[in-house]
Amino acid sequence: MTSTIEVHNLTKRFGKLIAVNDVSFSVTENKIYGLLGRNGAGKTTLMQLLTGQEFATKGTISLFGQAPVENAKVLQNTCFIKESQRYPENFRPKDVFTTAPWFFANWDPKFAERLIADFRLPLNRPIKKLSRGQLSSIGVIVGLASRAPLTFFDEPYLGLDAVARHIFYDRLLEDYANHPRTVVLSTHLIDEVSNLLEHVLVIDDGKLIINEDAETLRNRATTVVGMKTAVDTFVGARKVLHRDGIGGLSSVTVAGLNESERRDAKAAGLELSPVSLQQLIIQLTSTDTKEFEVSA
Amino acid sequence: MDDSRPIFAQVAENIENDIISGALPEEGQVPSTNEFAAFYRINPATALKGVNVLVDEGILYKKRGIGMFVATGAQEQITGARRDKFSSEYVRPLLAEAEKLGINSTQLTQMIAKEAKNS
Amino acid sequence: MTTTNPVLAHPASPLKRITNVTRLHFANPWTTLGLPWIILGVILAGTLTIWWLIYSALSSANREGALAGTEFGGSSFFIFVYMMVVAIQAISITFPFALGYGVTRRDYYLGSSLAFIILAVIYTTGLTILAAIEKATNGWGMGGSMFAPIYFGDSALGRAYVEFLLLLFFLFFGAAIAAVWVRWKASGVVAFFIVVGALLLGLIALVTFTDSWFAVGDTLVRLGVLGVASWSLVITAISAISGFFLLRGATPRNAA
Repeated sequence: MTSTIEVHNLTKRFGKLIAVNDVSFSVTENKIYGLLGRNGAGKTTLMQLLTGQEFATKGTISLFGQAPVENAKVLQNTCFIKESQRYPENFRPKDVFTTAPWFFANWDPKFAERLIADFRLPLNRPIKKLSRGQLSSIGVIVGLASRAPLTFFDEPYLGLDAVARHIFYDRLLEDYANHPRTVVLSTHLIDEVSNLLEHVLVIDDGKLIINEDAETLRNRATTVVGMKTAVDTFVGARKVLHRDGIGGLSSVTVAGLNESERRDAKAAGLELSPVSLQQLIIQLTSTDTKEFEVSA
Repeated sequence: MDDSRPIFAQVAENIENDIISGALPEEGQVPSTNEFAAFYRINPATALKGVNVLVDEGILYKKRGIGMFVATGAQEQITGARRDKFSSEYVRPLLAEAEKLGINSTQLTQMIAKEAKNS
Repeated sequence: MTTTNPVLAHPASPLKRITNVTRLHFANPWTTLGLPWIILGVILAGTLTIWWLIYSALSSANREGALAGTEFGGSSFFIFVYMMVVAIQAISITFPFALGYGVTRRDYYLGSSLAFIILAVIYTTGLTILAAIEKATNGWGMGGSMFAPIYFGDSALGRAYVEFLLLLFFLFFGAAIAAVWVRWKASGVVAFFIVVGALLLGLIALVTFTDSWFAVGDTLVRLGVLGVASWSLVITAISAISGFFLLRGATPRNAA
C-alpha cells in the first residue's frame, strides 16, 4: 500500500507558541482519515504545513513521495478547502466554478452542477452577499468536484446547517466510493463523521496522541454502570479510562469487552453502555465536553 | 448503527437478518459494498469488512465481474448458528432476570406456555 | 525514492500553470478593468464639463486658444498612480485564494506579472486611442488637451512608450508593496515606506551635498522624457524582483 503522506518529526513554532509538536505519521492512499481535536489543537496548522502553505520549523513532509513546498507537480494533485476561505472582490460563485477547473485536472462539471443544486447555491449573487452557509457550500463543492487525489477538508462545513452537512457527508461517501481518493477531514464534530472515517488521527495541543484504525478505536471502550460495589468487582484490575458516579451508582469506562465478558457483566446485573468515538476521544484527551458539542 | 458493537458486525448481522427473512433470497444478488456504505452512511471499507465476514463464513460468495450472491443453504447455516447461540444469548439472561425477580423455573415454564398459546 | 508516484504523472506544463494565474486575474475584472476605466471616464466627463463652462462663458472671439495650456494639466495622471492601487488589491486578495487552488508562489507571481503587463498594454492602447480621438476632434471641439500632456513628448508613439513604462512602474511598485503587505501586514508596509523615504532623503542629501543638482537637471534634459522613462525600468525591475522574493516567504495565515 502506498503512502500518500509521510510526516517525520514535524514541528511548527510561531514565536513562543508550538502549534505542531514533533508529529510523525503516514497516510495510506485512498482512505478517509479523520483529523480530530479541540479548537486550536493544531489541525489547521498541520494541514497548512502539509499543503506547503506554511513552512515547517523542523521535520520533513512528503506528499506522493516529494516535498510539497513550492512543488507544482504535487500541489496540483491536492485540494485544500478551509472554512475561512476568502474570495476575490466581486467574485460570484459562478466565477469560482469557472476558475476552479483550470487548477484541478479531475474536475467534474456535472458533479459540480448537481452539488450546486443540492446546496441551493445562487450562482450569480456576489459572494459578499451570501449567507455563511452558502459561503461554506462553495468550498465544499470545490472540494468534492475537484476529485483531487488528496483532498483536505478543514472544517469547511461549520457554516452549514445540519441538513446541508448531511448532504455533504452523503455526497462525500458516494463519490469517494465511486472515485476513490485520499481524504483528510478535520473536525471537532466527531460523532457526526465517526462512521465515515476509516482511520483516526487525534491532535491535542500540537501533539499526535492517537493514530489508529477507526473500527479498532471505536471498540476500545465500554462503560459499565451499576451499583458501586458490583461495578468495582467486575472492573477488578482492568485499566480505567474514566470514572463517574452519583450516590451509590457508579459508571466506569474500561477497555473493550468481548462477548463473554459482556454476558458476565449482564449476569452480574450491570448495564453496559456504548462509548461513542467522541466520548472516547474526550476522555482520552481529558477535555471539557462543551468543546465537542454541536455548535450549529 | 449503534455504538455498542463494531459497525462491520452490525452490517453482517443486518444482511443475515435479511437472508433469514427472505428479503435476500438464496442465489440472489446482494447490493454492492458501495451501496451498503451509502445506505448505512458508513465508510465503504467498513461495509466491505462486514461483507467479507459473511464471505469467509460461506454465506455470501462472489461472482467475478457481477457481484455478491447469497449462497445456497445460507438460511439454514445462519439459523443453525443462531440456534446454537440462543441458549447463551437469550435463555441465560432470561433465567438471570427471573431469578432477580424471584420467579422460579416452574412459574417461568408456565409463563412461557401461556405466552406461546396467546401469540 | 525509486519510481515516482503515478499520481504525479501528467503534470500541467509550467506555461499553462502560469497563464492560469493570469486568467484568474481577469476572471472577474471589475477591479482591474472596470473601475479604473469608469473613474477615468468620470474624470474625463468632469474635465470636459469644466472646459465647456469656460468655453461657453467666453465670446467666440476669445475662444480660440482659451484652453491652451491644458496640455500642462495632469488630469490623466490619475490613472497611472491608480495602477498602484489596482496591483495592491489584485495581489493581496488573490494570493491566498490562489494558494488555496494549489498554486505555487512562483507560478502565482509570474502569472500575476504577466497579467500586469497585459494591463499595461490595455491601458496604453486605451490612452493612445483617446489621444487620437482628442486630436481628431481638435481637442474635444474646444482645443483642450487631456490625453497628450506635454510632458510625454510630441509623437504618439513616444507617448505610448512613456505611458506603457509608467504604467509598468506603478503596477510593479504596487506589486512590491502588496508583497510586503501580504508577508508582514501593516507594520511591514509602514517599515517599507520608512525605508523608501529614507532612501529618497538620502539620495536628495547626497545630491545636495555634492552640489550636483545642475548635473542632475542637465542629465534629465539630455535624456528627455523617453530616456527618463527607459531608466524607470530599472526601478520597475527592482520592484518586480523584490516582490518575487518577498512573496516566496509569505503565508496565507498572514494574508488572511
